[in-house]
Amino acid sequence: MTSSSTASGASGLGPWSAIVLLAPLTVLMFAILLYPLGLTLWTSLYDGQLSLRAYAELASSTLFLKVLRNTFEIAITGTLVSLVFGYPVAMHLAAQPPRRRTACLVMVMLPFWTSILVKSFALVAVFGNQGLVNQLLGFLSGGQINLPMMFNRVGVVLGMINFLLPFMILSILGSLLALDRRLILAAETMGAGPLRIFWKVILPLSMPGVVAGVLINVTLSIGMYITPALLGGRQDMMVANLVDFYTRQTLDWTAASATAVALLAISGLLVAMLGRVRGGLSGGAA
Amino acid sequence: MNAPSASAMVQLQGVTKRYGEFEALHSIDLSIAKGEFVTLLGPSGSGKSTLLNLIAGMIAPSSGRIIIDGRDATTLPTNRRGLGMVFQNYALMPHMTVFENIAFPLQVRGLPKDEIRRKVTGVLDLIQLGHVAGRKPRELSGGQQQRVSLARCIVYNPALILMDEPLGALDKKLREQMQLEIKRLHAELGITMLYVTHDQDEALTMSDRIVLMNGGRIEQQGQPDTLYFKPETVFSAEFIGSSNLIPGEIAAGEGGTVTLKTALGAFPVPAPDRPVRPGDRGVLLVRPENMMLTDRADPTSVAGRIEDSILLGGVVRHFVRCADGSMVIVQELNQPGRAGARRDETVRAGWTMDHARLLPPPPNTSLPAG
Ligand SMILES: Nc1ncnc2c1ncn2[C@@H]1O[C@H](COP(=O)(O)OP(=O)(O)O)[C@@H](O)[C@H]1O
Ligand SMILES: [Mg+2]
Repeated sequence: MTSSSTASGASGLGPWSAIVLLAPLTVLMFAILLYPLGLTLWTSLYDGQLSLRAYAELASSTLFLKVLRNTFEIAITGTLVSLVFGYPVAMHLAAQPPRRRTACLVMVMLPFWTSILVKSFALVAVFGNQGLVNQLLGFLSGGQINLPMMFNRVGVVLGMINFLLPFMILSILGSLLALDRRLILAAETMGAGPLRIFWKVILPLSMPGVVAGVLINVTLSIGMYITPALLGGRQDMMVANLVDFYTRQTLDWTAASATAVALLAISGLLVAMLGRVRGGLSGGAA
Repeated sequence: MNAPSASAMVQLQGVTKRYGEFEALHSIDLSIAKGEFVTLLGPSGSGKSTLLNLIAGMIAPSSGRIIIDGRDATTLPTNRRGLGMVFQNYALMPHMTVFENIAFPLQVRGLPKDEIRRKVTGVLDLIQLGHVAGRKPRELSGGQQQRVSLARCIVYNPALILMDEPLGALDKKLREQMQLEIKRLHAELGITMLYVTHDQDEALTMSDRIVLMNGGRIEQQGQPDTLYFKPETVFSAEFIGSSNLIPGEIAAGEGGTVTLKTALGAFPVPAPDRPVRPGDRGVLLVRPENMMLTDRADPTSVAGRIEDSILLGGVVRHFVRCADGSMVIVQELNQPGRAGARRDETVRAGWTMDHARLLPPPPNTSLPAG
């Protein structure tokens, strides 16, 4: 039996299988994704007549440019923090025997199973001015130290990495698991110490996972909305919050749509780059 | 405990390796002289890789001592044992060029740049791969990759090179070519080599000494000739070369000869070095190439019927079915004009007494009564 006959034979629907199997989701996606998206694009372009005026205004709006810079700053900071914390965790996981690794991965995935609202309030309870950390610091320093860690940039990043870390860890872990252990043994027999092995063998060979993790993280954090709204200060507005501002505060739907389309275009570009990384999302290295 | 010997590159003293309940190596004693080419030969699972990895320091022994170049290295980490290793899958760094791969161990040793360049170029010439210096390993053939991994070893001139089935992934022709190349490098550089293979021909071709492993123990060791012509056990005889084995019971012994009573008759055999007594069980070994088809009914021959004859190029093999149902293989040289296979013909397969060996019965197997 050839593989192609197996593939179409499995459904038992013959040449129509693709249409029959994909139609329901296609209809749904059209209704809930493509149609509203088209509407948004239309709104951004049509303001009594077809024009690019909204985009031109966006490009010259100091608010938009400031928010865009904020967005990139926050996204890149969050991604870098997530990389620095995630890489060692991925290395630790890669070194575990498979059963233990599975158990540890459940813990890595845990944040996904918690509502982002609940997590945000929990973070405030831990890192806020009256939070556990500051209470402890205050107790130890006799009331001298109180670190503002919520409702500012630190708060946004703390909230974001909660969400970003699992993607970073899984992505790097994929590359590390694909790394042939005998390469490390070979480096050891040649006399290399652990530091050299990390810099010259492990890190370069896990680069596909690192690049994939970074791109996923940047893409995800660029569209952040709830976290900056709940944990950030007034200076930490991100593009998604700006869309919210236009739609609910100023009721400028054209500007809101154009901003949303711009955000989508930037994210789309990042996803396209992600697709070009060898090993990409699957995380396979070398 | 023995003192470390000055002329030994590696000494294993009572080295045992256990995985839980399972004992992969049973108290191995082995000494490898400086400059020697020693092969660990044995079936899969006999503990060859375990022994090699113990010497490399990739696993730790459960008990026993490992002495490398006169120093107790039992607990020394791999990267401080100063040896080289060639892996079956080459283990070249995929992100480095051939040049960078070979330069790596020199960088580890902190050599200056121009000296690294000189040495790498030198070994690349030695293995005749100078033209691929800038390529990545995946752009090379399997044989070229293995030569690069060999070069990566010899470039830093380790006192000892370990190789674990390095040619296992290559096809037969390339394998034979590489065997000679490794032998040549060994002769030229004088580096001690410990080579693992399950291929008897490879072991016979390359080694100064073969260490035959069986179930975590050393079955027999010696020069290739010794192992081939003077196997001490049925396992050795069967693992190296092919053999005709006829089990029986020792009937009598006088002078340098003993008589073995078997289902096919009583045969005189040269008395073995170990003492034997009448009534002991034993196995008669005659190599197929020491058998010939004959019509003389002398005491060192068995009667049978040619069941098949196959041509193997330079030699012909006759499969002779004996009266008790057992099979004897006779191997003769092939010559132009040789009379064709005489299938179904009744013949005698004979040998000269000096070519027969009396082996002890294999352990844990009950041979059919003589
Ligand atoms: N990490 C391990 N855990 C348990 N058993 C092992 C391990 N490594 C090897 N063994 C066992 O030890 C025996 C010898 O293995 P090995 O040295 O690899 O044999 P060889 O190289 O001769 O084929 C085998 O039975 C193998 O299953
Ligand atoms: Mg092995």
